[in-house]
Amino acid sequence: MLENYLPILVFVAIGLGFGVFLELVGYFAAPRKDVEDKLLPFECGFDAFEDARHKFDVRFYLVAILFIIFDLEVAFLFPWAVVFKELSWFAIGAMGVFLGLLVVGFIYEWKKGALEWE
Amino acid sequence: MNESMNFSLITSEIFLLCALCVIMIVDLFQRDKERVLTFTLTQASLIVLFVLGFNSLGAERIISFDGHWVTDELATVLKLSIYAITFLALFYARSFISHRNLMRGEYYLLTLFSVLGMMIMVSANSFLVVYLGLELLSLSLYALVALQRDSSVASESAVKYFVMGGLASGFILYGVSLIYGATGSLLIADVAKHFSENSIGLVGQFGLVFIVIGLSFKFGAVPFHMWLPDIYHGAPSSITAFIASVPKIAAFGMTMRLLSEAFGQSISQWASMILIVALLSVILGNVIAVSQNNLKRLLAYSAIAHIGYFLLGVVPGTQESFSAAMYYIIVYALMTLAGFGIVIFMSSENKEYQKVTDLRGLGRYHPWYALLFSIVMISMAGIPPFIGFWPKLEIFRNLIINGYVVEAIVAIAFSVVGLFYYLRVVKEMYFAEAVDAPEISSSRSLKIAISVNCLLLLFLGLLPDSIYQYCLTAFNLMG
Amino acid sequence: MTFQAIVFYSFAAWLIFAAIMVISSKNSVKAALFLVLTFASASAIWLLLEAEFLAISLIVVYVGAVMVLLLFVVMMLDVDYAALRQGFVKKLPIALIIAIAFFVVLYSFLTHGEFSAEKFAEPAAKAADYSNIKALGRVIYTEYFIAFEIAAVILLVAIIAAISLTFRGRRNRKSQNISKQLAANKKNRLKIVKVDPVVSANETSDELAVNQSEKQS
Repeated sequence: MLENYLPILVFVAIGLGFGVFLELVGYFAAPRKDVEDKLLPFECGFDAFEDARHKFDVRFYLVAILFIIFDLEVAFLFPWAVVFKELSWFAIGAMGVFLGLLVVGFIYEWKKGALEWE
Repeated sequence: MNESMNFSLITSEIFLLCALCVIMIVDLFQRDKERVLTFTLTQASLIVLFVLGFNSLGAERIISFDGHWVTDELATVLKLSIYAITFLALFYARSFISHRNLMRGEYYLLTLFSVLGMMIMVSANSFLVVYLGLELLSLSLYALVALQRDSSVASESAVKYFVMGGLASGFILYGVSLIYGATGSLLIADVAKHFSENSIGLVGQFGLVFIVIGLSFKFGAVPFHMWLPDIYHGAPSSITAFIASVPKIAAFGMTMRLLSEAFGQSISQWASMILIVALLSVILGNVIAVSQNNLKRLLAYSAIAHIGYFLLGVVPGTQESFSAAMYYIIVYALMTLAGFGIVIFMSSENKEYQKVTDLRGLGRYHPWYALLFSIVMISMAGIPPFIGFWPKLEIFRNLIINGYVVEAIVAIAFSVVGLFYYLRVVKEMYFAEAVDAPEISSSRSLKIAISVNCLLLLFLGLLPDSIYQYCLTAFNLMG
Repeated sequence: MTFQAIVFYSFAAWLIFAAIMVISSKNSVKAALFLVLTFASASAIWLLLEAEFLAISLIVVYVGAVMVLLLFVVMMLDVDYAALRQGFVKKLPIALIIAIAFFVVLYSFLTHGEFSAEKFAEPAAKAADYSNIKALGRVIYTEYFIAFEIAAVILLVAIIAAISLTFRGRRNRKSQNISKQLAANKKNRLKIVKVDPVVSANETSDELAVNQSEKQS
């Protein structure tokens, strides 16, 4: 079974190799002049007003958690899609109920306005 | 009997799920601040559920859905008590939440979702479904506790509840995975069959220990009780009343499914563990409750002690003792609801009721409610004419019959300690000098609910068999 | 050493390296990104155990969604990590003792007694056309129907809980409301106000000032 996944391993290896290669090229080929001024904070000529990391709005969190819920739904859909042709009508109905419940949830969040951004 | 995919066996669950979807959508389109329609629909669906459950009383035990689901008398009786007490708890909640920015449709929705989780827990016949029911219940309860977003106390207790509940679920899940490793099945019937043919073995014992610890966490039994007083104290009172009462009934169902049905053959393995936890809870709960001045914390520690008595009922492991424990837990839920009902009743629109001493003068200015509250306290202490006495008597009787005499004496001795703090509340109402008349809630539905609840404690106490016979039939002890 | 073993050890090395970086890197965002690398290598190891569904869902759910949430939370909370790290050196010996004890217990469990590797036979490698996603798909929607639907209900509760705990209602959006625009008419837009007549030319500027101060008082 594992031999089916060999292409993925090859992809991982190529991706890794390519990334490392480009980094190395950049490291060795790029001209470098270390000047102290480069290390100074710069913000349109002013000194920096504040730290670059500031608090995110809680709305990002809401969007992310709603995304996770639908992502998990995809995790359940995946085996269903793989064996779709072998499934009985019962199993297809079961997925219908599953999706129906989440559609109710989707209507709920839409109508509440949780998906709106300003 | 084994039937697969018989949807008539899950009629109540299907009905509740459909009702939930309808209520959810209806609530979205409501502009009414008081959510009258949502409330009415919620209560109406609980009534329908009660009728559906009542009609299926006396049906034979059927295992369905490939062994994952069981419908029997135990499940039906537990479900009926869950509906009834939730119904009452929502009446308590109504006026409380409308003054505290909690009057949102989600309150009712999450309550109903937790009812669905409890129904699944008591009807589950596999470890997987038990766990999923438990998660459904817990998730709704965490959200309910955190619903008062602007209160830092409520948020803090929600976080504590979530972390502790997550830990307990993790323990149960880990135990289940070990049991699965030892037996190769998640179905309770298969696990029971495996352990009746083979010895439990180290892996099985490990799993059992984890499950017992997880259950004790969920019950809040000593030494896994530290979260309970903080959460009961921090959560909004109407939610405390709910989480302190109804989920315990479902937890009893889960205990029966896991310990009595799956590990019925290895009772000697878990009985000693439960015994230690139970005795510690009785001792510690009663002793610490003595020094509490806050009624919510006092009731929380008394809840720990009550859980101890209830677990003592599970220890002997006979069908009689299980039915006594079931009787105890249902009565406990009813009494605790009334206990926290006092807290809700004494909290007026802009004041949170806190201290036991706030009850001073109630006997003089509101004699009817003072009488009702005395009934609650005396019933909790376990004094004869009231309902609290009978299940305690049954538990002690079962302990002594099965040879746990010393344990029974210890438990009785500490229920005398318990008498002290319950009667202190009564003393504050009648004999302490009052500065001025204590404020009480003006809501009529709340007045009716608390009167019904407290009088039930009296009438059921006069007719002790009324609930007990259902508990006995649940364990096939009645002809 | 077989090819499979080489793959295993290289991913295991990646995993350990990434896990150490998670707890030692100074920047919390970097730590979160190293956690992504940890998950990815763990997923590769699960794949080697022939648990392909778990491996894929680890990538889809954890790397794809949970880590995004974690990054948001890390950025949202704005935790002072320097303060959290205080006492690291002081507590290190105790932490090391616990870690070593834990390791010894785990190691002895896995080598001796009932949980040891000899007790369990090594499963045979699955055939090339075997797929445990298919095996899962065949039972999850029928035999585990109840559990599957409860999972949907739990997700529904999660939606409600997340919205009711974090969402604070619609904000004032500055969007166009066409029906409101069309319903507008002259009556509710225009208002005729009587204004005092213009000051006559012969009044001196002093009088004007007096006039105005009277009006103001």
